[in-house]
Amino acid sequence: MTLALRGVRYRYAGAAAAALEGVSLTLEPGHVLGVVGPNGAGKSTLCLVAAGLAPATIGGELAGEVRIDGVTTASSRPHELAQRCGILFQNPTTQLSGTSATVWEEVAFGPRNLGLPLEEVVARVDAALDALTIRPLADRDPERLSGGQAQLVALAGVLALRPAYLVLDEPTSQLDPQGTRLVGTAIGELARQTGAGVLVVEHKTDLLATIAEQVAVLVAGSVVASDEAASILADARLEAWGIESPSRIRIERAARRAGVHLVSEVEA
Amino acid sequence: MSWLSRQFPTRVIALIPVAIAINIVLGYTVQTVLKLPIYLDSIGTILVGVLAGPIAGAVTGFASNIIWQYAPGIGGGTIGPFAITAAVIGLLAGLWGYLGVYRPRPAAGARLWLAALVGIAIIVLLASRIYGNPAYADPDFFVPWYSTAILIVGIVMSIAVAAAVLLRRDTSGAWVAVAGAVTGIVAALVSAPISAYVFGGVTGGGTDVLVAALRQGGADVFNASLGQGFFSDPIDKTITSFVVFVVLASLSRRVVARFPLGERVVTPEPAAA
Amino acid sequence: MQPSDPAASAASAGPPGVPAFVQRPPEGAYRRLNPTTKLVIAVVEALTAFVLRGWTGLVIVLALVVVTAAVARIGRAMLPFMLATIPLIASILLVNTFLYPGATDAIVRIGPLTPSWSGLEFATQAALRVVAFALSVAVFGLTTRPDDLVSDLERRGLGRRVGFVISATLRTVPRILQRAGEITEAQRARGMDTEGGIWRRVRGVLPLAGPLIFGALTDVEEQAMALEARAFSAPARRTVLRTFPDSPAQRTLRWALLATLLLVVGLSVSGRLEFLP
Repeated sequence: MTLALRGVRYRYAGAAAAALEGVSLTLEPGHVLGVVGPNGAGKSTLCLVAAGLAPATIGGELAGEVRIDGVTTASSRPHELAQRCGILFQNPTTQLSGTSATVWEEVAFGPRNLGLPLEEVVARVDAALDALTIRPLADRDPERLSGGQAQLVALAGVLALRPAYLVLDEPTSQLDPQGTRLVGTAIGELARQTGAGVLVVEHKTDLLATIAEQVAVLVAGSVVASDEAASILADARLEAWGIESPSRIRIERAARRAGVHLVSEVEA
Repeated sequence: MSWLSRQFPTRVIALIPVAIAINIVLGYTVQTVLKLPIYLDSIGTILVGVLAGPIAGAVTGFASNIIWQYAPGIGGGTIGPFAITAAVIGLLAGLWGYLGVYRPRPAAGARLWLAALVGIAIIVLLASRIYGNPAYADPDFFVPWYSTAILIVGIVMSIAVAAAVLLRRDTSGAWVAVAGAVTGIVAALVSAPISAYVFGGVTGGGTDVLVAALRQGGADVFNASLGQGFFSDPIDKTITSFVVFVVLASLSRRVVARFPLGERVVTPEPAAA
Repeated sequence: MQPSDPAASAASAGPPGVPAFVQRPPEGAYRRLNPTTKLVIAVVEALTAFVLRGWTGLVIVLALVVVTAAVARIGRAMLPFMLATIPLIASILLVNTFLYPGATDAIVRIGPLTPSWSGLEFATQAALRVVAFALSVAVFGLTTRPDDLVSDLERRGLGRRVGFVISATLRTVPRILQRAGEITEAQRARGMDTEGGIWRRVRGVLPLAGPLIFGALTDVEEQAMALEARAFSAPARRTVLRTFPDSPAQRTLRWALLATLLLVVGLSVSGRLEFLP
């Protein structure tokens, strides 16, 4: 049981060139896969394709196969996909349904849409709030939260659908450092707590260094490298691809160049 | 029921609240803060009509007026009953969208001039119908300056059409202007009975002076409202149509193409690789 | 008012497990009525005021409004709504009293001005109609939370898409209004005029309308995707979260009101109600 992309080629509706070319990736439950790449590499497209929103919701042409637990996304309806693979975008505010007076109701939005029995809805909302430790926010107005809090609420809303896989498209890019810390910690726990397979697209390689086990590098629509997080993030080619290495690596390299010997503390 | 359902895919459902909000906020700001004699409260309605069809447009217009009327804080006044007019504007916008009026048609040289001339001709024709309206030619109701006012409006709009077509090098400017003028005239025709029946022919705004003057000249309740409408609505709807036209041209192709009528708004795509 | 510990309020009235701050039942005699009842009352009031020509409809509606306002104790809160109608009423009274076409029963002649009795009657009726309508809007707006109304209508079968449009609009309008304020401020700082001559104000519209519309539209695509990702287009009937008490008495009232309205409209249209003053 995996989320697997095989030889995926995707072209947006009305676009001349393909945004993804020959992409193959596998995401396993309980594991975290990071994806890095320069701007315009197709990382957001990859997220939409993995979650099935492309082509189901936004159209376009998909060649190759995207299978979530064996079922192709092409043969699934959007609400079925929502229960198999959840997706979180960068902008905290556009993801809020805009119809809920409280965070609790906002998280209940998804389960309610499925028509689940009330007890089930309540159970899922409480579980999602607890998983991200945002119970104290339950009675707050979603439009009055900080960026980081809003992202967590959006994430809770996605978790309430109990998807087996999660795709996170640069979830901290629009957040301040505090928000980044908040969301980053939550993501780190996510795979362990919920058993979901998590695909995280991030520019912040520092963050990936702490949460990802595997990292794939996407450049110009194709996967150019995919390996354990430690070796990818230390790879010298990252800069050439237009990706910034984690600060620790950069400091070590700079120290080496300056002939300074660094003793690094073991980090958690 | 299924055809009706197809008019409202999720994308359209997400667009409508935003369009309604644009209607209300711009309409309120123009009326209250900027205090201009135009309404500018139909941009969202026409936008939805062009992108998603007449039903969606009508719903947007109708809902905008009702929600504005009952909105806490900025509501009140005369907006609610004109929901019918707003619905008609949305319907017409869907028609224009279906006919591809808002699709850019870049052109050059003689074709531009031809389009400008055709547009001006239609505007002049419409203005002359109003100018020559027997109600105003009636010797008991002789308001010479009103006829002159209509004439000036016609001339100004003709110049605007010519400018739009020639400056943007786009023949669609003419069709957008004509669509706006026609929508305005229809809006005036639908609004006049509502205004006369519900509000005794006035709206509490600055244009009531025009209504008073027309009545002084001998017009009855209905014709005075109609006269005021013919003055305000075509200009307002033409401006609105142009704003929608410019906005649509600046939105990314990908975003627009996925709407139900989106294909009629974007230029035909180049052959795919 | 709102408990800060949601877990503690889980054992409150209403469906099991749903916290009290989600249920948030309204308080007060009129407010406690089922939202749909309040809606029907508002609609019937509004339509009666306009359909019944002459004084009868007006008196009925004004009486209804005064009674409901008293029961709901919102007399003072209705004042701003009333004041907002003053320009309109002034215009109605002035234009129609002095310039009523074809009127021959002059009250007095003051130079070129000839106010007429028929004009005054027409004007007063129109003005009172506006007042009655505005007050019925005020009563509804002050006693019914939109959240509550949409929840109840959805329970009765209103489609989720309609409910979404209403709820989302009511939250989007303040947001975009604020954004408009920000844009106006920023441009005033850059020298754009909101006072000044009419031409300058016209020129100020485009720099406001452009960014406002654009900003609002760019997010729509992502909003649509986010909705789909939350199973918005699932075919099931949406789970009911909040319930509002209803009663056979209210049900009867609603049907009675609607039936009366239909009767009144029918008779009025067919001209049978001419005998009413």
